[in-house]
Amino acid sequence: MSHKINVIVFFLLITLGMTSYLVIRPKRISIEEKRKLTTLPELNWDSYVSGKWADTIDKYMNDHFPARLKMIEYAGIIRYARGVHIKNQQKIFVYQKPHKRIRKNTEEASKDTVPNFLDDFEETYSQSMLILNGSVYPLNGGSPKMGKPFANMVSEYAYNLKGKTRVFSAVAPLSSAFIPAEKYRHYNGQNRRTLEAIRDNLSNGAIFCDVFKSLNDHSSEKLFFSTDHHWTAQGAYRAYEAFCKAAGFEPVPQSKMQKKVKYNFLGTLYERTRDQSVRQNADTFTYYVPNVTTSAIKYGPYGYSGTKSGAFCHGSSGGNSYSTFLCGDQPLTKITTSVKNGKKVVVIKNSMGNAFSVYLISHYEEVWVVDFRYSKHNLMELIEKNEIDDMVFAVGMYAAMSNGTIGMMRRLATQKGGGAPMPTPSNDRDSSAVLNHSTELKDTIK
Amino acid sequence: MVFSSLTFLYAFLPLSIFAHYISKNVIFRNLTLTLFSLVFYAWGEPMWIFLLLFTSMFDYAHGLLIEKYRGKFSGKLVLVWAVIVNLGLLIAFKYGAFIWDNLSLLFTLPFERPTNTLPIGISFYTFQTVSYLIDVHRGEVKAQRNPMNFLLYVSMFHQLVAGPIVRYQAIAEEIENRIVNWRMLSEGINRFCFGLFKKVIIANTAGELVEKYLEAGFTDLSSYEAWFGITMFSVQIYFDFSGYSDMAIGLGRMFGFHYDENFRHPYAAQSVGDFYRRWHTSLGKFFRDYVYIPLGGNRKFQLRNIMIVWLLTGIWHGASWNFLLWGFYFGCFMIIEKLLEKVLAKTPRILRHTYTLILIVFSRAIFYFVDWERLKTFTVKLFHSENKINDGFFVDLWEHSFWFVAVVLLCIPWDEIYPKDSKINIKSTNMLEYFRPALNVAFLALSTVMLVDSTYNPFIYFRF
Repeated sequence: MSHKINVIVFFLLITLGMTSYLVIRPKRISIEEKRKLTTLPELNWDSYVSGKWADTIDKYMNDHFPARLKMIEYAGIIRYARGVHIKNQQKIFVYQKPHKRIRKNTEEASKDTVPNFLDDFEETYSQSMLILNGSVYPLNGGSPKMGKPFANMVSEYAYNLKGKTRVFSAVAPLSSAFIPAEKYRHYNGQNRRTLEAIRDNLSNGAIFCDVFKSLNDHSSEKLFFSTDHHWTAQGAYRAYEAFCKAAGFEPVPQSKMQKKVKYNFLGTLYERTRDQSVRQNADTFTYYVPNVTTSAIKYGPYGYSGTKSGAFCHGSSGGNSYSTFLCGDQPLTKITTSVKNGKKVVVIKNSMGNAFSVYLISHYEEVWVVDFRYSKHNLMELIEKNEIDDMVFAVGMYAAMSNGTIGMMRRLATQKGGGAPMPTPSNDRDSSAVLNHSTELKDTIK
Repeated sequence: MVFSSLTFLYAFLPLSIFAHYISKNVIFRNLTLTLFSLVFYAWGEPMWIFLLLFTSMFDYAHGLLIEKYRGKFSGKLVLVWAVIVNLGLLIAFKYGAFIWDNLSLLFTLPFERPTNTLPIGISFYTFQTVSYLIDVHRGEVKAQRNPMNFLLYVSMFHQLVAGPIVRYQAIAEEIENRIVNWRMLSEGINRFCFGLFKKVIIANTAGELVEKYLEAGFTDLSSYEAWFGITMFSVQIYFDFSGYSDMAIGLGRMFGFHYDENFRHPYAAQSVGDFYRRWHTSLGKFFRDYVYIPLGGNRKFQLRNIMIVWLLTGIWHGASWNFLLWGFYFGCFMIIEKLLEKVLAKTPRILRHTYTLILIVFSRAIFYFVDWERLKTFTVKLFHSENKINDGFFVDLWEHSFWFVAVVLLCIPWDEIYPKDSKINIKSTNMLEYFRPALNVAFLALSTVMLVDSTYNPFIYFRF
């Protein structure tokens, strides 16, 4: 009898597994993992003979297993259960097999409603990470040698915009600068030296914001997330203070902003490590909203046909919490504020700049945010036509250290991805008006 | 296709079982099993299926010819020819590039370096067909008259790509007439689930540690970590290969076949010779019956015969000098053990066991590093490194502590300590039977969860 039960239970399980693939509707994307899921491949001779067809089927079976994300979570628990875990343990995690990113050409991206998941994670965390007390840190502190190319690029902009627009460099250090363990203290100095190398190489009046010093002076605060590769709103606030100091503004105290809190934020570093100590150390996502009324429009990579957006998306939650700032990464965002001082700023950023940019709404009437990775707009044209006063490079250190990303930032000056919008009439501040105006510019989109 | 994949577990396996049991007719069952086996083999690298089909049909025809001319000189000629063709294909496809690389150091070769990938399982199915031809020639088995049945023997997906090397005589009867009952199915499932657990939970975990300690550069590696890394590879290779064999044996049972055991707790061995009577026994038996004994066995030139067998065993594993060195290493120790047989017998068990484990674990380094430079550097690190132990090493030890206990428990030959007829064995077996369904569900569920969270994880012996 026990043999029969054994056989029946086993066959039921594997048959159930098989039929679930037929019954459950496959998803296209995994929001949590920020990637596109494998679709069923087309069977043809070439794909079959090359083995690609079978390989894709295997991937499809993995991607669409019932309750897959739960399974992955359980896998973390099983790994955790393999032994004893002691507090204050330092372990090294090597991130080796990146998932395929959703990387589509920008034309397609502008038409498609699927969110664009490109971020700077791949390049930044492709090496060892340290897991210490449930927090993940990159084991890298940049390289002073790489400061010069970035500084040169910023200085070129300063040269071309001399007398018209001030150019600031506000590069964020890596969280490795603040690892609370003596053994890794050297990363603090390495981060500092790397950012100082940028300062030492800036010319043509480009202004250096000492973000590192500002953060370092407050190193006891929660400056970076434990489970995500971004800095916290607090870290970004310290960077904002450094910017204000360099720009001659008085920073708005946090006490005069509205504090909001979200819980259980498990970010990219948890997604990658799946480490249980990291999971148990989920971040509390605290952010500050300046008391300024804003309206925002987001644009696709080309042209100025915009749709309504926001400086904050308060509804973003869970693993997507960081999208609270600027409603995530957009090629170009324009925020119009209730600050009627006629000042305008453009922020050149990757995702690190999102948390920083939102503080600027207290000081500028218009805040333009350009994500250099996606935007095909001509930056010089945008600056000239809108008479932008300040330009800030607010990127993470890795973006400032890579020739590829520096090249993308440099190309913003010359690329021709659509004509620049005319300045918004001063008496017309509501987004619908801007939208109408943008529609007129549609013809220029290529 | 690999057994430890979701495609196999939740598509191929249920479909092949349903197809097999949809009819009681043995011809239909053989047909479906053959078709599924070909699909299994063609998964991923379909072109090599033609080589498999050619080998099968060639050996089918030559088996008949050998039987027809058995006892005559022409029969011998046919056998020699057929063996040459089989081994020739193996050499051409597996060792072609290796031979070219070495010959090109001495001569200018008139042809390009072969660039083909290794046809999966060729080392296994070639040995199976060669054993069949020799057994037919010796009159130990009758030649198979039905080409479909012969193709089934060669291509049976349970053991096609990584063994055990199944002799035709072991399953000849079952190909044509086999009975499957609930008990057999249940035993097959037990074995399969246990093998899956060994592969996914034990071997793959060891694999993660191997990657960490043996794949990264050796600059920071201390001697302790080096020994740890290579010990983990010893764990990985054993649980990976024996897990595969368990799954193959289990699948065989589910489809009505009985395959011989391939492993018998090798890490409990008392000598190197004992180790290889417990490790990959189907390969050992092949070399014993078709090389060692025909060369004279222990009757004449025993030491020479031992060395020949071990050099062949080494090179069978791969087209690289390190495998030859690995074979030579064991050949030497086999000979030393033979010469010091009496001394070894008087040595305390614990010392014999320790000596064996050290030799085996060290041999894994020769097996693992195909690159001479890396092997050299690593060997130096094993015995001398000025590096301190990295902090992460102790974290790894703690974080895998329960898993280490499981590894040790699974390496202990419980059935040797408590023989089958012992009270404790009978009692525990009965208790285990009671919990079997739950245990299998646990093994399957744990493995599935880990497979969902992993990428491609082939078996180590796939590359041989």
